[in-house]
Amino acid sequence: MAKIELVKVTKRFGNTTVLENLDLTIEDGEFTVLIGASGCGKTTLLRMIAGIGPQTSGQILMDGVDISDLPPGKRDLAMVFQNYAIYPTMSVRENIEYGLKNKKVPTAERNRLIEEISEILGIADYLKRRPSQLSGGQRQRVALARAMVKKPKVFLMDEPLSNLDAKLRAHMRVELIELHKKLNTTFVYVTHDQVEAMSMADRIILMDKGVIQQEDSPSVIYNNPCNRFTAQFIGSPQMNILKVPDTEFFFGFRPEKIELSNEKSDKFVQKKARIVTKEMLGSETLYQLYFDNISVMAKSLSERFSDEIYFSLNREDILLFDKAGARIYNKDNRFADTLEKVRGF
Amino acid sequence: MIEKFWQKCLPYIFVAPAMVFMAVFTLYPLGNMIYLSMTDWVLMSKTKNFVGLDNFIYIAQRADFLNALGNTFFYTFWTVLTLMVAALVFAVLLYKNTRLNNLVRTAMFTPHVIALLSVSMIWSWLMNEDSGLLNMLLSAVGLPTSRWLNSSDTAMASLVLVSWWKSVGYYTLIIFAALQGIPAEIYEAAELDNAGALNRFLRITLPMISPQVFLCLITMTIGSFKVFETIRVMTAGGPGKSTQVLVYYIYNTAFGMQFKIGVASAAGVVLLVIVGLLTMLYFLVLSKRVHYQ
Repeated sequence: MAKIELVKVTKRFGNTTVLENLDLTIEDGEFTVLIGASGCGKTTLLRMIAGIGPQTSGQILMDGVDISDLPPGKRDLAMVFQNYAIYPTMSVRENIEYGLKNKKVPTAERNRLIEEISEILGIADYLKRRPSQLSGGQRQRVALARAMVKKPKVFLMDEPLSNLDAKLRAHMRVELIELHKKLNTTFVYVTHDQVEAMSMADRIILMDKGVIQQEDSPSVIYNNPCNRFTAQFIGSPQMNILKVPDTEFFFGFRPEKIELSNEKSDKFVQKKARIVTKEMLGSETLYQLYFDNISVMAKSLSERFSDEIYFSLNREDILLFDKAGARIYNKDNRFADTLEKVRGF
Repeated sequence: MIEKFWQKCLPYIFVAPAMVFMAVFTLYPLGNMIYLSMTDWVLMSKTKNFVGLDNFIYIAQRADFLNALGNTFFYTFWTVLTLMVAALVFAVLLYKNTRLNNLVRTAMFTPHVIALLSVSMIWSWLMNEDSGLLNMLLSAVGLPTSRWLNSSDTAMASLVLVSWWKSVGYYTLIIFAALQGIPAEIYEAAELDNAGALNRFLRITLPMISPQVFLCLITMTIGSFKVFETIRVMTAGGPGKSTQVLVYYIYNTAFGMQFKIGVASAAGVVLLVIVGLLTMLYFLVLSKRVHYQ
């Protein structure tokens, strides 16, 4: 178990600066998910912690000790790669054993560890096989076993589930959560999939263009985003964001906060709209609504609506953002005035 | 009916020209050589008498044949060993795609496109004992000069050097291409597994490029066993018989002074069997260590 701190780290590739003066603390034992669109610097960050893509400047501390100049193999961490990076010429057993051998762990101890780990991950039956004889899910487990057997202080995972099919991915997600509970080790997990981030993380770190946008628990990130980027990145379909009339501000609301009805109600915001498209997803239905040249997405459990409907919103479900995209909170003196204007829109 | 007939025949018709070439230029000469090896035919005479294995027994007792055989093994062993090691070392050293490395790789490959005959001529001049460039350079830096092709002690090694110079770029390129095929994250995983550089090379790089190394070994071996042009141009088997190799022996016996086609054919059969056995040996010993993906 270990706490990781990044102090003023910068990473450049040639003339391109990917990360600049970034500070970040990853708490001991936490399941931290780094999320962002591709190219946002999340994998770069992970590789810096691993030591396989060292920072241009700045420091990386593990439990307060500077590990910036330590080679990857001496950092006491393990990484699971997106394409697993299993050694194709070694058997499953040799793959798992390789790191231990290099650490000069005695044979008896090695065998005990391999047995223990392969039992936990359910790969004991094919230790003699070659990676080419394994399915994607099995390879995934071998990659995990190779990481776990070293009993590292930190697990780094770079989109480890992205090559699996949807069903297996959902299954592995649950297994990873259980694994984290069992090992109680620091996990740093990189993904672009918000479902993975929301379902697994103790804490989500949302990045955009090399800058951390928000770091919080999944529920805070979802319900209380600190800026427009976060509000729109997390959530599917994304948050509706519209201009507040006669101001330079914006207001937003999640699709599921919209209440649809065939009759008029007396909610804070009330509009008549036309249903343009309807996507039946099983438990819920997505509607695209159209009014006054504006289109918004709504999510509802019910699907019995006529084409012309009323949609309404509660006051507390509306979030305000300023021109630059920063959140306007209700203690802000611009808040009340702006919200009044939303009511009138 | 006719359609079915065409469907079956068409592939054979397409490969027929290649098959005809192979039959005329490979299979027929091969069969004929085996047949001739069991006759007493001399190029001048009209009679071909069947003599069984007499020619084989004859060459097995001839010192010049055994000398040629030994020289061939010596040449092959050193050529294959130095080429393989050098190709691996250079490919690893030139792995990074920098401008300088690209230039060096191209420069190293260039000798491969030069005709072997020209290469032999050029190196004959370079290795000339009195006026050659190599000795000039050696004495310029104060090192003792060598007799190169003029001494039976150094002639064979000089020939190995020439073949090495001609082929090393080609094999380096093959190994280099194989190295490029290894995904970078496998090395990163190995780094995280605390593997040192030598360990990484032996446990990861070498197994991953083993199919190409295996291919190189076989082509190098067969190529070295067939060495002829350099020897014909540079030493003519001398000094003495120190660079007499199998193919040169066959050439000399058949078309030199003696015109003994039967004996030469027997030596040819021996060469065929040796190359065949060596290839089989490679497959038996090494193929288990070759990892095909």
